[in-house]
Amino acid sequence: MSGHTAAESTRPAVTATAVRKQYGDTVAVRDVSLDVHEGEVFGLIGPNGAGKSTLLGLLTGTRIPTEGSVRVFGESPTAVDRSRMSVLPQEFSPHRRLSGRELVSYYAGLYPDPLSVDEVLDRVGLDAGDAATAYTDLSGGQQRRVCVGAALVNDPELLFLDEPTTGIDPAGRRDVWDLVDSLADGGTAVVLTTHYMAEAEHLADRVGLLTDGELVRVGPPRDLVQRFGGETRLAVRTERPRALDLDATPLDGRRYGDYEYRFFDAGPDDLTAMLDHLDAADIAYEEVSLVRPTLEDVYLNLASERGHDCIASAGPAGLAGNAEVTR
Amino acid sequence: MTAAETGGTDETAAAVETRETADGGQTRGFAEAARRVRAEAVAETRAFIRRRTAVFFTFFFPVFIVLIFGVLVKTGATGGLFSRPDTYYLPAYLGVVVVLTPLSRVGSTVARNRASRRFEKLATTPLSRLEWLSAHAAVNVALIGLAGVLLVGVLAAVGDLGAAPSLGGDALVVAFLVVGIALFCGLGSLIGSLADSEDGVIAASNAVGIPMVLLADTFVPASRLPAALRPVVDALPLTYFARGVRAAVAGGQLPTALSDLAILCGFAVALFALSARLLPWRE
Repeated sequence: MSGHTAAESTRPAVTATAVRKQYGDTVAVRDVSLDVHEGEVFGLIGPNGAGKSTLLGLLTGTRIPTEGSVRVFGESPTAVDRSRMSVLPQEFSPHRRLSGRELVSYYAGLYPDPLSVDEVLDRVGLDAGDAATAYTDLSGGQQRRVCVGAALVNDPELLFLDEPTTGIDPAGRRDVWDLVDSLADGGTAVVLTTHYMAEAEHLADRVGLLTDGELVRVGPPRDLVQRFGGETRLAVRTERPRALDLDATPLDGRRYGDYEYRFFDAGPDDLTAMLDHLDAADIAYEEVSLVRPTLEDVYLNLASERGHDCIASAGPAGLAGNAEVTR
Repeated sequence: MTAAETGGTDETAAAVETRETADGGQTRGFAEAARRVRAEAVAETRAFIRRRTAVFFTFFFPVFIVLIFGVLVKTGATGGLFSRPDTYYLPAYLGVVVVLTPLSRVGSTVARNRASRRFEKLATTPLSRLEWLSAHAAVNVALIGLAGVLLVGVLAAVGDLGAAPSLGGDALVVAFLVVGIALFCGLGSLIGSLADSEDGVIAASNAVGIPMVLLADTFVPASRLPAALRPVVDALPLTYFARGVRAAVAGGQLPTALSDLAILCGFAVALFALSARLLPWRE
């Protein structure tokens, strides 16, 4: 879980003030204000087309705001010492015929005081064999490790990662999480976008939900879940269709389709009561689970409030923390 | 020593120290810029060498050109196409390589870098657009220079280049090659920045390069073109490359060659600066 060394007392690494980006009549980013402090991981989540990558571009200086201002370490992002920051763009693809080692060495050559290539390769978990393999012959996960390595080579104080774990297998994703955790613990400010709610919940000290270019909620994941995640619910899946008589159950609930039932504002005692009821009524079930709200629920609730039909990915830890009984 | 003198001495020492610091900073800045250009050039060279098709066509395209036009199409002294001595067409053959290869190579590289988000990454590194373009021009000068040497060698083997040019003439031809390749790298970069895809780059490169090769006093003497086209001929940078190389190879026309080289340099500086500015580094 998150919980890095960042505090309000630390200096903001990046600050956006009323930033707006407009393309013709289309507003891509709408008056966004935020700051990210040293040692903090800030996660940007939101539906496709919400403006996450555009906002990241504004923060890194690769896009120019229509209105508002961005400061990186107190300076314009285009004027700041570029050795202090680094970016991993979404869908970034380096020279395909160069090996991982050659690519890291190439990016190291662009900075005055880079980390050693071996140290970077070690940090991203690329062994000598993989590092000597041409980028195009590496697996998707290994390729992403190379890209992350290219972003770390200058030991940045501020790191922007645009969907850093897309295409990486679960083990590789965990490695990247560990890496981001250790960077933040070392004082690096990290701004990342992700579609994986579990990733944001795990890594981010604060999360910002962006919809239609507007930052609608910002806060620590736990606070957002408490405020906007909804109630803990009991989910039942029966073996036979419409097997459960909702009037006879110990809780108020609703049926979803022929097999799924959900009971809201439930607790551990209700789980026991429901199991007793199912046994007593001799109703065969596949699964009974107590589902605590997660950041995914916050995302779905807040996005749907704004008229988005979202399908968020729960990611590898989407059901973590939920009590579950299967038969 | 008076106080004023002491102050003056201190000021002088401070000024010297400041100047030395500034000089040191400039030297360090230059060394760092050179290091970045080298890193970019090494990466580009490695990437190029591993693209076998690109290597094949870069080096054998000039050979094909000479074999097709210099040997197969040649009509000899009876008139018609390629009836002049081979020395006359040397600038044309070199011009084909100097124009078409950088246009397509650098243009495609720019389009590819934009599509793969590499520029977005590079824009947040200390590498500047001018450094990026300089690195790619340097790589192309080396590669296309080699291709040019190969071309001259083939032409010498299958044709008649006459007496060997003087040392000064050789140096001038090298200067024309370096400036010309850098110039057309700039133009290629400009095309890559303005075209919306790699396919678009190839189409635009052909649309710009092929008419230029035909019109720029290369294979067809400008005197044989309609008078209305003369201003166009004079506006083409390749014209000064062709005329200058011809003057350098012929010998005894140093002022003409130098004048053409100066004009070519002017084109190169203008195009290089413009294309560096327009590289799609940021949106």
